[in-house]
Amino acid sequence: MKILVPIKRVADPDNANKVKVSADGTQVTTEGLEWKMNPFDEWALEAALRLTEDGAAKSRVGEVVLVSVGPKEAVATVREGLAKGAERGVIVEGNDNDLDSNVIAAALAAVAKKESPDLIVMGKQTVDGDSNVAGTVLADKLGWPIINYAMRIETSDDGKTFAIKRDLDVGVASVKVTGPVVITVSDSILHPESVKNGVTPADFKYPEAEGGRYASLKGIMQAKKKPIAEQTLSGLGVDAKRTVTYKKFELPPARSGQTTFVESVEELVEKLRTEAKVL
Amino acid sequence: MGHSMGDLDLFNPTPEHRALRQTVRAFAEREVEPQALASDRSEHFNLPLFRKLGELGLLGITVDERFGGAGMDAVAAVIAHEELAAVDPGFTLAYLAHAMLFVNNVFLNASDEQRERYLPDACAGRTVCGMCMSEPGAGTDVLGLATTAERRGDGYVLNGAKMWITNGAVDDQTLGDAFLVYARMKGAPRAQLTSFLVDKGTPGFSLGQRLKDKLGMRASSTAELVFEDCEVSERQRVGPEGGATLHMMRNLEIERVTLAAMSLGIARRSLDVMNRYARERTSFGEPLAHFGQVQRHLAESYAEWMAGRSYTYQTAAQIDLGSAGHRLDSDGVKLFCATMAKNVADRAIQVLGGYGYVGEYVVERLWRDAKLLEIGGGTLEAHHKNMTRELGHVQTLR
Ligand SMILES: Cc1cc2nc3c(=O)[nH]c(=O)nc-3n(C[C@H](O)[C@H](O)[C@H](O)COP(=O)(O)OP(=O)(O)OC[C@H]3O[C@@H](n4cnc5c(N)ncnc54)[C@H](O)[C@@H]3O)c2cc1C
Repeated sequence: MKILVPIKRVADPDNANKVKVSADGTQVTTEGLEWKMNPFDEWALEAALRLTEDGAAKSRVGEVVLVSVGPKEAVATVREGLAKGAERGVIVEGNDNDLDSNVIAAALAAVAKKESPDLIVMGKQTVDGDSNVAGTVLADKLGWPIINYAMRIETSDDGKTFAIKRDLDVGVASVKVTGPVVITVSDSILHPESVKNGVTPADFKYPEAEGGRYASLKGIMQAKKKPIAEQTLSGLGVDAKRTVTYKKFELPPARSGQTTFVESVEELVEKLRTEAKVL
Repeated sequence: MGHSMGDLDLFNPTPEHRALRQTVRAFAEREVEPQALASDRSEHFNLPLFRKLGELGLLGITVDERFGGAGMDAVAAVIAHEELAAVDPGFTLAYLAHAMLFVNNVFLNASDEQRERYLPDACAGRTVCGMCMSEPGAGTDVLGLATTAERRGDGYVLNGAKMWITNGAVDDQTLGDAFLVYARMKGAPRAQLTSFLVDKGTPGFSLGQRLKDKLGMRASSTAELVFEDCEVSERQRVGPEGGATLHMMRNLEIERVTLAAMSLGIARRSLDVMNRYARERTSFGEPLAHFGQVQRHLAESYAEWMAGRSYTYQTAAQIDLGSAGHRLDSDGVKLFCATMAKNVADRAIQVLGGYGYVGEYVVERLWRDAKLLEIGGGTLEAHHKNMTRELGHVQTLR
């Protein structure tokens, strides 16, 4: 099985309080922040790796190809994914300011047409833009089904059909779909028994790990030698343009940091209504 | 100069070093931090967590791939120790005793047959190992050690006791799995030591006592080990008789540089804690960071930490793991960083006031742990002595 996993580098979400808005309000500046793999993409990568390995024997049985659309420096993030076990990477060069979900989806669609994967597994959103549409637009451009918020994926014996459980606010939806298909995942996909691929023994349990597996030192050293292809939007024939432009960014108002102690529930409700004005 | 130095990152010289730091930091924050305070309080060495270091590849960080290692360099070892010590110096000391004092030493000095026998298990975390140099009666004066080895039949018998051995026990009753033991052949000159690999279960080898109630580094276990007519075969001897003094010297540099790296982790964490607190806590209507005396704590700590960090990474970058030759600076970084970390942790407690004095805010533990680095792996005074001797060979510093 061959799986395409799109990944994006984002400004360290654990230090989001350091994100600033430029003086004219036209952009978010990220100076001095470390870059990390979008956490939702880490989940997708974990799911893809589980689908293409024997988890008990720790051997690879399929191929995971990482794609990142963005600046050249994103190569570090691609290498991180390779160190975790993916086979190779593709970087489609682009300036972050020229990209929106529409351009990204067009670029990913172009890569998917060249690579013909069985699956595209991706994060449901990025922690910076929070748009939550790239997967759906991509599926639309490819004419493939889209299954959002997958929390459990089970492959059929022929490896073409997938039984998927979707994590919804109101409950769990079960679907069956035949590939190729675009899947976005929820964090429940990290559950020890959420991925069954027919190769890893059915009773095997993955360790609980927030964010998926770590890159081992061996993986880090091997990643050095794994191939990363460089592409450009024009080289891929992508002429999509931004469909969303941002007018203005503002930081949320600073919190006062004041603590108010109350004596009773009534007083609490009263203060939430009159002082905090949140009710 | 032909190229820009602007891209030079002393602390992460290659993408692999950066990736390593990311992996160790994520592991440290997610899995080491949550158990650190409890392990300190209960003097508990966390064996399952230690084995996970093996899965990641950290236990054989400097060892060739053919023996199950990761094949990385001294800078990588410094990164791993810095990142782990930022959350749990006690656990990190157990890591150091295994990965640097035993594994790296065996990799550098033992025969291929011995490396094949010991390293794959040690790199994978299937065994917990340590190194025995110090004795009840000899520490700084290491060549004054009194453990003897004597030929008997095809092998040797060892007699003596070793003190302060990290990983000597894995709990109150159980010995660690294998040790590199320094001894002297009966009648051999003072400077000629011989070393042996001694396994748990060898007749005559026993746990004297697990040493409890340490000030700090309580997540590592420390033990006295006893050798009473302990019989080892010839194939347990490492290198030639009398050759181990050189082995010891060869391994000392990486030991000291990684101990300095632990100090860097302690100082960084202490700085993070006091920096955040100084901005959040108000007094007389202002954040603490507005007060000059607090500013001095912050600014001096940062500058000293960065100085120690730059010195340590520069020294690590120069170290060739296979040979000695950086005694001056490997002693120098530990001399500077150990006291620097203790002072920074102390200032962090001061900035936090009463909160700094309790476990929840971490810095009291770091302060206790930091003190060990002025003693273990060479006392400050031993560094003074060594460095002054090295400086005696220098005409003019360049
Ligand atoms: C928690 C812990 C873990 C340890 N782990 C290990 C381990 O895994 N393996 C191992 O082999 N050892 C280990 N050690 C031992 C450590 O290396 C020694 O404690 C250290 O070398 C000092 O030796 P000592 O304690 O015998 O003190 P001593 O050498 O007796 O020193 C006492 C004091 O006298 C000073 N002094 C001694 N000689 C001189 C001199 N010539 N000039 C000036 N001052 C001098 C010292 O600096 C010190 O201040 C560990 C120690 C501790 C506390």
